[in-house]
Amino acid sequence: MIEISGLHKSFVGQDGSTVNALDDVNLTVNENEFLTVLGPSGCGKTTLLKAIAGLIGWDSGDIVIDGQPVRGPGPDRSMVFQNFALMPWATVLDNVAFGMRMRGVGKAEREERARTLIKTVGLSGFETKRPGELSGGMQQRVGIARALAVRPKVLLMDEPFGAVDEQTRRLLQEELLGIWEGQQLTVVFITHSMEEAVLLGDRVVLMSARPGRIAEIVPVPMARPRSHDIGAVGRSPEYVQITAYLWDRLRDMHEEHRDVRAGVTA
Amino acid sequence: MSTLAGPLPPRRRGLLRRIADSDRPYQILTFVVFAVVWEVYARQWGGLLIPTFGETVAATFELLGDPELWHALYVSNQALAIGFGIAVVVGVPVGIVLGRFPTLERFSDVYLNILLVTPMAAIIPLLVMSVGFGLTSRVILVTVFSIVMVIVNSRTGVRGVDPGLIEMARSFGASERQIWREILLPGALPAIMTGIRLGLGRAVTGMVIVELLMVSVALGGLILEYRGLFMAPLLYGTIVIILAEALLLISVARWCERKLTPWARTNSAKDPR
Repeated sequence: MIEISGLHKSFVGQDGSTVNALDDVNLTVNENEFLTVLGPSGCGKTTLLKAIAGLIGWDSGDIVIDGQPVRGPGPDRSMVFQNFALMPWATVLDNVAFGMRMRGVGKAEREERARTLIKTVGLSGFETKRPGELSGGMQQRVGIARALAVRPKVLLMDEPFGAVDEQTRRLLQEELLGIWEGQQLTVVFITHSMEEAVLLGDRVVLMSARPGRIAEIVPVPMARPRSHDIGAVGRSPEYVQITAYLWDRLRDMHEEHRDVRAGVTA
Repeated sequence: MSTLAGPLPPRRRGLLRRIADSDRPYQILTFVVFAVVWEVYARQWGGLLIPTFGETVAATFELLGDPELWHALYVSNQALAIGFGIAVVVGVPVGIVLGRFPTLERFSDVYLNILLVTPMAAIIPLLVMSVGFGLTSRVILVTVFSIVMVIVNSRTGVRGVDPGLIEMARSFGASERQIWREILLPGALPAIMTGIRLGLGRAVTGMVIVELLMVSVALGGLILEYRGLFMAPLLYGTIVIILAEALLLISVARWCERKLTPWARTNSAKDPR
Protein backbone atom coordinates (compact mmCIF):
# COMPACT_ATOMS: atom_id res chain seq x y z
CA MET A 1 0.00 0.00 0.00
CA ILE A 2 1.27 3.44 -0.94
CA GLU A 3 0.19 6.34 1.27
CA ILE A 4 0.87 9.84 0.01
CA SER A 5 -0.05 12.71 2.30
CA GLY A 6 0.27 16.47 1.98
CA LEU A 7 2.80 16.26 -0.83
CA HIS A 8 4.15 19.60 -2.06
CA LYS A 9 6.73 20.14 -4.76
CA SER A 10 7.58 23.41 -6.45
CA PHE A 11 10.07 24.34 -9.13
CA VAL A 12 11.58 27.69 -9.94
CA GLY A 13 10.62 28.43 -13.52
CA GLN A 14 12.86 29.98 -16.13
CA ASP A 15 11.38 33.43 -15.52
CA GLY A 16 12.16 33.13 -11.80
CA SER A 17 8.56 32.52 -10.75
CA THR A 18 7.61 29.54 -8.60
CA VAL A 19 5.62 26.76 -10.25
CA ASN A 20 3.63 24.49 -7.95
CA ALA A 21 4.08 21.15 -9.65
CA LEU A 22 2.35 19.31 -6.81
CA ASP A 23 0.10 21.07 -4.31
CA ASP A 24 -1.21 19.14 -1.29
CA VAL A 25 -1.51 15.77 -2.99
CA ASN A 26 -3.17 13.09 -0.83
CA LEU A 27 -3.56 9.63 -2.26
CA THR A 28 -3.71 6.03 -1.13
CA VAL A 29 -2.90 3.26 -3.60
CA ASN A 30 -4.21 -0.11 -2.44
CA GLU A 31 -2.32 -3.40 -2.48
CA ASN A 32 -2.46 -4.95 -5.98
CA GLU A 33 -4.47 -2.06 -7.35
CA PHE A 34 -4.11 -0.85 -10.93
CA LEU A 35 -4.26 2.91 -10.55
CA THR A 36 -4.20 5.20 -13.55
CA VAL A 37 -3.34 8.90 -13.31
CA LEU A 38 -4.83 11.17 -15.96
CA GLY A 39 -4.37 14.86 -16.55
CA PRO A 40 -3.39 17.56 -19.01
CA SER A 41 0.29 17.96 -19.79
CA GLY A 42 2.11 19.96 -17.13
CA CYS A 43 -0.20 18.81 -14.33
CA GLY A 44 2.65 17.22 -12.40
CA LYS A 45 1.70 13.59 -12.96
CA THR A 46 5.21 12.59 -13.99
CA THR A 47 6.58 14.56 -11.02
CA LEU A 48 4.30 12.54 -8.74
CA LEU A 49 5.51 9.27 -10.25
CA LYS A 50 9.17 10.22 -9.96
CA ALA A 51 8.61 11.19 -6.33
CA ILE A 52 7.14 7.75 -5.63
CA ALA A 53 10.10 6.21 -7.47
CA GLY A 54 12.45 8.14 -5.19
CA LEU A 55 14.14 9.81 -8.14
CA ILE A 56 13.35 13.36 -7.03
CA GLY A 57 12.89 15.04 -3.67
CA TRP A 58 9.93 17.12 -2.54
CA ASP A 59 9.32 20.15 -0.33
CA SER A 60 6.95 18.73 2.27
CA GLY A 61 4.66 15.78 2.88
CA ASP A 62 5.22 12.04 3.06
CA ILE A 63 5.26 9.03 0.81
CA VAL A 64 5.05 5.77 2.74
CA ILE A 65 5.11 2.32 1.13
CA ASP A 66 4.07 -0.57 3.38
CA GLY A 67 5.06 1.45 6.43
CA GLN A 68 8.46 2.47 5.02
CA PRO A 69 8.94 6.14 4.14
CA VAL A 70 10.42 6.67 0.66
CA ARG A 71 13.97 8.08 0.83
CA GLY A 72 15.21 7.10 -2.62
CA PRO A 73 14.92 4.34 -5.18
CA GLY A 74 14.27 0.96 -3.60
CA PRO A 75 14.00 -2.71 -4.53
CA ASP A 76 10.24 -2.69 -3.91
CA ARG A 77 9.66 -0.40 -6.93
CA SER A 78 10.65 -0.37 -10.56
CA MET A 79 9.85 1.94 -13.40
CA VAL A 80 8.88 1.79 -17.08
CA PHE A 81 9.78 4.89 -19.09
CA GLN A 82 7.98 6.73 -21.85
CA ASN A 83 11.05 6.76 -24.10
CA PHE A 84 11.91 3.15 -23.19
CA ALA A 85 15.33 4.18 -21.78
CA LEU A 86 17.10 1.15 -23.24
CA MET A 87 20.86 1.01 -23.58
CA PRO A 88 21.51 1.01 -27.34
CA TRP A 89 24.80 -0.86 -26.94
CA ALA A 90 23.34 -3.75 -24.97
CA THR A 91 21.40 -6.75 -26.28
CA VAL A 92 17.78 -7.40 -25.33
CA LEU A 93 19.00 -9.98 -22.82
CA ASP A 94 21.46 -7.57 -21.19
CA ASN A 95 18.89 -4.78 -21.12
CA VAL A 96 16.35 -7.00 -19.39
CA ALA A 97 18.99 -8.21 -16.92
CA PHE A 98 20.29 -4.69 -16.20
CA GLY A 99 18.03 -3.93 -13.22
CA MET A 100 18.82 -7.30 -11.64
CA ARG A 101 22.53 -6.69 -12.15
CA MET A 102 22.34 -3.30 -10.44
CA ARG A 103 20.64 -5.03 -7.54
CA GLY A 104 23.29 -7.70 -7.23
CA VAL A 105 21.45 -10.75 -8.59
CA GLY A 106 23.92 -13.49 -9.58
CA LYS A 107 24.71 -14.13 -13.24
CA ALA A 108 23.05 -17.53 -13.64
CA GLU A 109 19.83 -16.50 -11.93
CA ARG A 110 19.83 -13.21 -13.81
CA GLU A 111 20.07 -14.88 -17.17
CA GLU A 112 17.44 -17.49 -16.43
CA ARG A 113 14.96 -14.95 -15.15
CA ALA A 114 15.68 -12.58 -18.05
CA ARG A 115 14.92 -15.37 -20.52
CA THR A 116 11.68 -16.19 -18.73
CA LEU A 117 10.56 -12.56 -18.87
CA ILE A 118 11.59 -12.14 -22.48
CA LYS A 119 9.27 -15.05 -23.17
CA THR A 120 6.51 -13.49 -21.07
CA VAL A 121 6.58 -10.30 -23.13
CA GLY A 122 6.70 -12.27 -26.38
CA LEU A 123 10.25 -11.49 -27.48
CA SER A 124 11.70 -15.02 -27.59
CA GLY A 125 14.26 -15.25 -30.36
CA PHE A 126 15.25 -11.58 -30.00
CA GLU A 127 17.60 -12.09 -27.03
CA THR A 128 20.73 -11.08 -28.92
CA LYS A 129 19.23 -8.18 -30.88
CA ARG A 130 20.00 -4.59 -29.97
CA PRO A 131 17.29 -1.97 -29.36
CA GLY A 132 18.10 -0.22 -32.65
CA GLU A 133 16.91 -3.34 -34.48
CA LEU A 134 13.51 -3.40 -32.73
CA SER A 135 10.28 -1.50 -33.31
CA GLY A 136 8.98 0.91 -30.66
CA GLY A 137 6.47 -1.60 -29.36
CA MET A 138 9.13 -4.28 -29.03
CA GLN A 139 11.44 -1.84 -27.28
CA GLN A 140 8.80 -1.11 -24.66
CA ARG A 141 8.28 -4.84 -24.15
CA VAL A 142 11.98 -4.94 -23.22
CA GLY A 143 11.39 -2.02 -20.83
CA ILE A 144 8.49 -3.85 -19.18
CA ALA A 145 10.45 -7.10 -18.90
CA ARG A 146 13.36 -5.22 -17.30
CA ALA A 147 11.06 -3.63 -14.74
CA LEU A 148 9.28 -6.91 -13.90
CA ALA A 149 12.55 -8.84 -13.67
CA VAL A 150 13.45 -7.29 -10.31
CA ARG A 151 10.19 -8.65 -8.81
CA PRO A 152 8.81 -5.28 -7.69
CA LYS A 153 5.81 -4.85 -5.44
CA VAL A 154 5.00 -1.60 -7.21
CA LEU A 155 5.35 -1.01 -10.94
CA LEU A 156 5.56 2.66 -11.88
CA MET A 157 4.72 3.40 -15.51
CA ASP A 158 5.26 6.83 -17.04
CA GLU A 159 3.10 7.08 -20.19
CA PRO A 160 4.64 3.80 -21.32
CA PHE A 161 2.57 3.48 -24.49
CA GLY A 162 2.63 7.16 -25.47
CA ALA A 163 5.32 6.66 -28.10
CA VAL A 164 3.89 3.66 -29.97
CA ASP A 165 1.25 3.44 -32.68
CA GLU A 166 -2.41 2.74 -31.97
CA GLN A 167 -2.56 -0.98 -32.81
CA THR A 168 0.62 -1.74 -30.89
CA ARG A 169 -0.74 0.26 -27.99
CA ARG A 170 -3.87 -1.94 -27.89
CA LEU A 171 -1.83 -5.12 -27.92
CA LEU A 172 0.50 -3.87 -25.20
CA GLN A 173 -2.45 -2.81 -23.04
CA GLU A 174 -3.95 -6.29 -23.31
CA GLU A 175 -0.68 -7.98 -22.54
CA LEU A 176 0.06 -5.71 -19.61
CA LEU A 177 -3.37 -6.48 -18.13
CA GLY A 178 -2.72 -10.20 -18.69
CA ILE A 179 0.61 -10.00 -16.86
CA TRP A 180 -0.85 -7.95 -14.00
CA GLU A 181 -3.86 -10.24 -13.55
CA GLY A 182 -1.51 -13.21 -13.17
CA GLN A 183 0.49 -11.84 -10.24
CA GLN A 184 0.58 -9.78 -7.08
CA LEU A 185 1.50 -6.33 -8.32
CA THR A 186 0.50 -2.75 -7.62
CA VAL A 187 0.62 -0.53 -10.70
CA VAL A 188 0.67 3.25 -10.90
CA PHE A 189 0.16 4.14 -14.55
CA ILE A 190 0.48 7.68 -15.90
CA THR A 191 -1.31 8.48 -19.13
CA HIS A 192 -2.77 11.37 -21.06
CA SER A 193 -5.34 9.12 -22.76
CA MET A 194 -8.80 8.94 -21.18
CA GLU A 195 -9.52 5.68 -22.99
CA GLU A 196 -6.37 4.07 -21.68
CA ALA A 197 -6.98 5.30 -18.14
CA VAL A 198 -10.45 3.73 -18.06
CA LEU A 199 -9.60 0.50 -19.90
CA LEU A 200 -6.76 -0.35 -17.57
CA GLY A 201 -7.53 1.20 -14.20
CA ASP A 202 -9.40 0.18 -11.06
CA ARG A 203 -9.58 3.88 -10.32
CA VAL A 204 -8.66 6.93 -12.37
CA VAL A 205 -6.94 9.79 -10.56
CA LEU A 206 -7.79 12.98 -12.39
CA MET A 207 -5.24 15.74 -11.92
CA SER A 208 -5.52 19.45 -12.67
CA ALA A 209 -2.66 21.66 -13.75
CA ARG A 210 -0.97 24.69 -12.15
CA PRO A 211 -1.03 23.97 -9.33
CA GLY A 212 -0.88 20.20 -9.76
CA ARG A 213 -3.69 18.87 -7.62
CA ILE A 214 -5.88 15.80 -7.50
CA ALA A 215 -9.20 17.03 -8.87
CA GLU A 216 -11.13 13.82 -8.44
CA ILE A 217 -10.73 10.08 -8.09
CA VAL A 218 -13.11 8.17 -10.36
CA PRO A 219 -13.76 4.47 -9.65
CA VAL A 220 -13.94 2.18 -12.66
CA PRO A 221 -16.35 -0.66 -11.81
CA MET A 222 -15.91 -2.79 -14.93
CA ALA A 223 -15.35 -6.47 -14.17
CA ARG A 224 -11.96 -8.15 -14.11
CA PRO A 225 -10.28 -9.87 -15.85
CA ARG A 226 -10.44 -7.53 -18.80
CA SER A 227 -7.41 -8.72 -20.71
CA HIS A 228 -9.14 -11.48 -22.72
CA ASP A 229 -11.23 -8.98 -24.69
CA ILE A 230 -10.23 -5.40 -24.21
CA GLY A 231 -12.36 -4.46 -27.24
CA ALA A 232 -15.56 -5.64 -25.51
CA VAL A 233 -14.61 -3.63 -22.41
CA GLY A 234 -14.26 -0.61 -24.67
CA ARG A 235 -17.86 -1.06 -25.88
CA SER A 236 -19.48 -1.56 -22.48
CA PRO A 237 -21.95 1.08 -21.23
CA GLU A 238 -19.88 1.77 -18.10
CA TYR A 239 -16.83 2.48 -20.20
CA VAL A 240 -18.72 4.90 -22.44
CA GLN A 241 -20.23 6.65 -19.45
CA ILE A 242 -16.97 7.06 -17.53
CA THR A 243 -14.96 8.31 -20.50
CA ALA A 244 -17.76 10.81 -21.28
CA TYR A 245 -17.65 12.01 -17.70
CA LEU A 246 -13.85 12.35 -17.71
CA TRP A 247 -14.02 14.30 -20.94
CA ASP A 248 -16.53 16.75 -19.40
CA ARG A 249 -14.26 17.27 -16.42
CA LEU A 250 -11.15 17.76 -18.55
CA ARG A 251 -12.97 20.25 -20.75
CA ASP A 252 -14.18 22.19 -17.70
CA MET A 253 -10.61 22.31 -16.39
CA HIS A 254 -9.39 23.55 -19.72
CA GLU A 255 -12.00 26.32 -19.76
CA GLU A 256 -11.31 27.35 -16.18
CA HIS A 257 -7.67 27.54 -17.05
CA ARG A 258 -8.42 29.67 -20.10
CA ASP A 259 -10.67 31.97 -18.05
CA VAL A 260 -7.92 32.40 -15.48
CA ARG A 261 -5.46 33.32 -18.18
CA ALA A 262 -7.98 35.67 -19.86
CA GLY A 263 -8.60 37.30 -16.45
CA VAL A 264 -4.91 37.92 -16.04
CA THR A 265 -4.52 39.56 -19.42
CA ALA A 266 -7.77 41.61 -19.21
CA MET B 1 8.37 -8.04 -69.74
CA SER B 2 6.37 -10.52 -67.77
CA THR B 3 7.70 -9.38 -64.40
CA LEU B 4 6.12 -5.95 -64.63
CA ALA B 5 3.12 -6.89 -62.50
CA GLY B 6 3.06 -8.76 -59.22
CA PRO B 7 5.70 -9.15 -56.55
CA LEU B 8 9.25 -9.46 -57.78
CA PRO B 9 10.86 -12.79 -57.04
CA PRO B 10 13.72 -12.55 -54.57
CA ARG B 11 16.85 -12.36 -56.64
CA ARG B 12 20.55 -12.33 -55.88
CA ARG B 13 22.05 -9.01 -56.72
CA GLY B 14 24.12 -9.29 -59.88
CA LEU B 15 27.86 -8.81 -59.92
CA LEU B 16 27.67 -5.55 -61.87
CA ARG B 17 25.08 -4.18 -59.47
CA ARG B 18 27.26 -4.97 -56.48
CA ILE B 19 30.29 -3.35 -58.09
CA ALA B 20 28.30 -0.22 -58.91
CA ASP B 21 26.98 -0.07 -55.34
CA SER B 22 30.34 -0.25 -53.61
CA ASP B 23 32.62 2.75 -53.24
CA ARG B 24 35.63 1.09 -54.78
CA PRO B 25 35.02 1.77 -58.51
CA TYR B 26 34.42 5.46 -57.87
CA GLN B 27 37.60 5.71 -55.84
CA ILE B 28 39.58 3.97 -58.57
CA LEU B 29 38.05 6.19 -61.23
CA THR B 30 38.94 9.43 -59.41
CA PHE B 31 42.42 8.13 -58.86
CA VAL B 32 42.90 7.29 -62.54
CA VAL B 33 41.70 10.76 -63.57
CA PHE B 34 44.03 12.33 -61.01
CA ALA B 35 47.02 10.27 -62.23
CA VAL B 36 46.36 11.10 -65.90
CA VAL B 37 45.99 14.84 -65.26
CA TRP B 38 49.19 14.82 -63.20
CA GLU B 39 51.13 12.93 -65.88
CA VAL B 40 49.93 15.21 -68.68
CA TYR B 41 50.54 18.39 -66.71
CA ALA B 42 54.04 17.34 -65.62
CA ARG B 43 55.00 16.36 -69.18
CA GLN B 44 53.72 19.63 -70.67
CA TRP B 45 54.63 22.22 -68.08
CA GLY B 46 56.61 20.38 -65.43
CA GLY B 47 59.94 21.76 -64.31
CA LEU B 48 62.65 20.59 -62.05
CA LEU B 49 60.37 20.31 -59.02
CA ILE B 50 57.37 18.65 -60.68
CA PRO B 51 58.07 15.03 -61.59
CA THR B 52 55.64 13.00 -63.66
CA PHE B 53 53.29 10.52 -62.06
CA GLY B 54 55.31 7.63 -63.46
CA GLU B 55 58.58 8.97 -62.06
CA THR B 56 56.98 9.42 -58.66
CA VAL B 57 55.68 5.86 -58.60
CA ALA B 58 59.10 4.54 -59.60
CA ALA B 59 60.78 6.67 -56.93
CA THR B 60 58.33 5.41 -54.31
CA PHE B 61 59.29 1.82 -55.04
CA GLU B 62 62.94 2.75 -55.04
CA LEU B 63 62.51 4.32 -51.60
CA LEU B 64 60.75 1.24 -50.26
CA GLY B 65 63.95 -0.70 -50.92
CA ASP B 66 66.09 1.89 -49.17
CA PRO B 67 67.03 1.15 -45.53
CA GLU B 68 67.43 4.88 -44.93
CA LEU B 69 63.70 5.34 -45.46
CA TRP B 70 62.80 2.53 -43.06
CA HIS B 71 65.04 4.03 -40.45
CA ALA B 72 63.40 7.43 -40.97
CA LEU B 73 59.95 5.85 -40.68
CA TYR B 74 60.99 4.16 -37.46
CA VAL B 75 62.33 7.38 -35.92
CA SER B 76 59.32 9.45 -36.96
CA ASN B 77 56.85 6.88 -35.71
CA GLN B 78 58.49 6.78 -32.32
CA ALA B 79 57.36 10.35 -31.80
CA LEU B 80 53.96 9.53 -33.27
CA ALA B 81 53.37 6.48 -31.09
CA ILE B 82 54.48 8.11 -27.84
CA GLY B 83 52.86 11.48 -28.56
CA PHE B 84 49.56 10.06 -29.71
CA GLY B 85 49.57 7.53 -26.89
CA ILE B 86 49.82 10.40 -24.41
CA ALA B 87 47.06 12.29 -26.24
CA VAL B 88 44.70 9.32 -25.84
CA VAL B 89 45.65 8.40 -22.29
CA VAL B 90 45.32 12.02 -21.11
CA GLY B 91 42.71 13.34 -23.54
CA VAL B 92 39.99 10.75 -23.03
CA PRO B 93 39.75 11.11 -19.22
CA VAL B 94 40.03 14.91 -19.44
CA GLY B 95 37.26 15.04 -22.04
CA ILE B 96 35.04 12.74 -20.01
CA VAL B 97 35.47 14.77 -16.83
CA LEU B 98 34.79 18.02 -18.69
CA GLY B 99 31.64 16.54 -20.19
CA ARG B 100 30.30 15.38 -16.84
CA PHE B 101 31.08 18.56 -14.87
CA PRO B 102 29.97 21.65 -16.83
CA THR B 103 31.52 24.03 -14.28
CA LEU B 104 34.99 22.80 -15.12
CA GLU B 105 34.16 23.29 -18.74
CA ARG B 106 33.54 26.99 -18.22
CA PHE B 107 37.13 27.34 -17.07
CA SER B 108 38.63 25.20 -19.80
CA ASP B 109 36.55 26.10 -22.83
CA VAL B 110 38.58 29.11 -23.87
CA TYR B 111 41.86 27.15 -23.71
CA LEU B 112 40.44 24.32 -25.76
CA ASN B 113 39.35 26.81 -28.39
CA ILE B 114 42.80 28.36 -28.39
CA LEU B 115 44.32 24.90 -28.86
CA LEU B 116 41.91 24.26 -31.72
CA VAL B 117 42.69 27.42 -33.69
CA THR B 118 46.33 28.17 -32.88
CA PRO B 119 48.57 27.70 -35.93
CA MET B 120 50.73 25.07 -34.32
CA ALA B 121 53.67 25.86 -36.56
CA ALA B 122 53.98 29.12 -34.67
CA ILE B 123 54.73 27.44 -31.36
CA ILE B 124 57.35 25.05 -32.69
CA PRO B 125 60.30 27.48 -32.29
CA LEU B 126 59.24 28.15 -28.71
CA LEU B 127 59.02 24.44 -28.03
CA VAL B 128 62.41 23.71 -29.50
CA MET B 129 63.96 26.58 -27.57
CA SER B 130 62.64 25.28 -24.27
CA VAL B 131 63.12 21.51 -24.64
CA GLY B 132 65.66 21.19 -27.44
CA PHE B 133 65.78 19.26 -30.69
CA GLY B 134 65.31 15.81 -29.24
CA LEU B 135 62.53 13.29 -29.20
CA THR B 136 60.80 15.21 -26.41
CA SER B 137 59.91 18.24 -28.48
CA ARG B 138 58.60 16.04 -31.30
CA VAL B 139 56.49 14.01 -28.87
CA ILE B 140 55.09 17.15 -27.28
CA LEU B 141 54.12 18.58 -30.63
CA VAL B 142 52.36 15.40 -31.75
CA THR B 143 50.45 15.40 -28.45
CA VAL B 144 49.49 19.06 -28.70
CA PHE B 145 48.34 18.57 -32.28
CA SER B 146 46.11 15.60 -31.59
CA ILE B 147 44.88 15.94 -28.02
CA VAL B 148 42.27 18.60 -28.76
CA MET B 149 40.32 16.29 -31.08
CA VAL B 150 40.37 13.56 -28.46
CA ILE B 151 39.27 15.88 -25.64
CA VAL B 152 36.54 17.67 -27.57
CA ASN B 153 35.00 14.47 -28.92
CA SER B 154 35.14 12.65 -25.57
CA ARG B 155 33.46 15.64 -23.97
CA THR B 156 30.74 15.70 -26.62
CA GLY B 157 30.26 11.96 -26.18
CA VAL B 158 29.65 12.17 -22.44
CA ARG B 159 27.42 15.18 -22.82
CA GLY B 160 25.42 13.39 -25.51
CA VAL B 161 24.51 10.46 -23.26
CA ASP B 162 20.73 10.37 -22.84
CA PRO B 163 19.89 11.72 -19.35
CA GLY B 164 16.94 9.33 -19.40
CA LEU B 165 19.40 6.43 -19.26
CA ILE B 166 21.07 7.87 -16.17
CA GLU B 167 17.67 8.27 -14.53
CA MET B 168 16.80 4.70 -15.50
CA ALA B 169 20.00 3.35 -13.94
CA ARG B 170 19.35 5.37 -10.80
CA SER B 171 15.81 4.01 -10.55
CA PHE B 172 17.29 0.52 -10.36
CA GLY B 173 19.54 1.64 -7.53
CA ALA B 174 22.78 2.14 -9.51
CA SER B 175 25.58 3.86 -7.60
CA GLU B 176 27.50 6.81 -9.08
CA ARG B 177 30.31 4.40 -9.97
CA GLN B 178 27.95 2.02 -11.69
CA ILE B 179 26.43 4.90 -13.64
CA TRP B 180 29.90 5.79 -14.90
CA ARG B 181 30.81 2.27 -15.85
CA GLU B 182 27.48 1.08 -17.18
CA ILE B 183 26.00 4.19 -18.81
CA LEU B 184 28.37 7.11 -19.29
CA LEU B 185 31.40 5.25 -20.66
CA PRO B 186 29.62 2.95 -23.11
CA GLY B 187 27.37 5.84 -24.13
CA ALA B 188 30.34 8.05 -24.90
CA LEU B 189 32.40 5.33 -26.60
CA PRO B 190 31.32 6.00 -30.22
CA ALA B 191 32.27 9.68 -29.95
CA ILE B 192 35.51 8.81 -28.14
CA MET B 193 36.47 6.46 -30.97
CA THR B 194 35.70 9.17 -33.53
CA GLY B 195 37.92 11.55 -31.56
CA ILE B 196 40.74 9.01 -31.57
CA ARG B 197 40.45 8.56 -35.33
CA LEU B 198 40.40 12.31 -36.06
CA GLY B 199 43.20 12.86 -33.55
CA LEU B 200 45.31 10.24 -35.30
CA GLY B 201 45.09 12.22 -38.54
CA ARG B 202 46.25 15.35 -36.77
CA ALA B 203 49.03 13.42 -35.02
CA VAL B 204 50.51 12.34 -38.35
CA THR B 205 50.39 15.96 -39.56
CA GLY B 206 52.11 17.08 -36.37
CA MET B 207 54.78 14.44 -36.72
CA VAL B 208 55.76 15.60 -40.19
CA ILE B 209 55.43 19.34 -39.56
CA VAL B 210 57.75 19.41 -36.57
CA GLU B 211 60.42 17.54 -38.51
CA LEU B 212 60.04 19.83 -41.51
CA LEU B 213 60.07 23.11 -39.71
CA MET B 214 62.54 22.69 -36.95
CA VAL B 215 63.95 19.33 -36.14
CA SER B 216 65.33 18.06 -39.42
CA VAL B 217 65.32 14.38 -38.72
CA ALA B 218 63.62 11.28 -40.04
CA LEU B 219 60.89 11.67 -42.66
CA GLY B 220 60.79 15.45 -42.52
CA GLY B 221 64.59 15.47 -42.78
CA LEU B 222 64.43 13.24 -45.86
CA ILE B 223 61.93 15.59 -47.49
CA LEU B 224 64.18 18.56 -46.83
CA GLU B 225 67.23 16.70 -48.08
CA TYR B 226 65.59 15.68 -51.36
CA ARG B 227 64.28 19.18 -51.82
CA GLY B 228 67.73 20.63 -51.28
CA LEU B 229 69.16 18.25 -53.90
CA PHE B 230 66.29 18.89 -56.35
CA MET B 231 65.44 15.20 -56.33
CA ALA B 232 61.76 15.80 -56.95
CA PRO B 233 60.62 12.22 -57.61
CA LEU B 234 62.12 11.04 -54.33
CA LEU B 235 60.65 14.05 -52.53
CA TYR B 236 57.18 13.19 -53.76
CA GLY B 237 57.78 9.50 -53.16
CA THR B 238 58.43 10.22 -49.49
CA ILE B 239 55.21 12.18 -49.27
CA VAL B 240 53.33 9.30 -50.91
CA ILE B 241 54.70 6.93 -48.29
CA ILE B 242 53.65 9.26 -45.46
CA LEU B 243 50.17 9.52 -47.01
CA ALA B 244 49.96 5.75 -47.31
CA GLU B 245 50.89 5.34 -43.67
CA ALA B 246 48.30 7.89 -42.57
CA LEU B 247 45.57 6.22 -44.63
CA LEU B 248 46.52 2.83 -43.24
CA LEU B 249 46.43 4.07 -39.65
CA ILE B 250 43.07 5.77 -40.14
CA SER B 251 41.60 2.62 -41.71
CA VAL B 252 42.77 0.60 -38.75
CA ALA B 253 41.19 3.16 -36.40
CA ARG B 254 37.94 3.03 -38.37
CA TRP B 255 37.95 -0.75 -38.26
CA CYS B 256 38.42 -0.69 -34.47
CA GLU B 257 35.61 1.82 -34.21
CA ARG B 258 33.24 -0.51 -36.06
CA LYS B 259 34.29 -3.54 -34.05
CA LEU B 260 33.98 -1.79 -30.70
CA THR B 261 30.79 0.18 -31.31
CA PRO B 262 28.63 -1.76 -33.76
CA TRP B 263 25.40 -0.33 -32.31
CA ALA B 264 26.39 3.19 -33.32
CA ARG B 265 26.06 2.17 -36.96
CA THR B 266 22.75 0.34 -36.51
CA ASN B 267 21.39 3.47 -34.93
CA SER B 268 22.53 5.98 -37.47
CA ALA B 269 21.35 3.83 -40.34
CA LYS B 270 17.82 3.69 -38.93
CA ASP B 271 15.32 6.22 -37.77
CA PRO B 272 15.49 6.08 -33.96
CA ARG B 273 11.75 5.66 -33.57
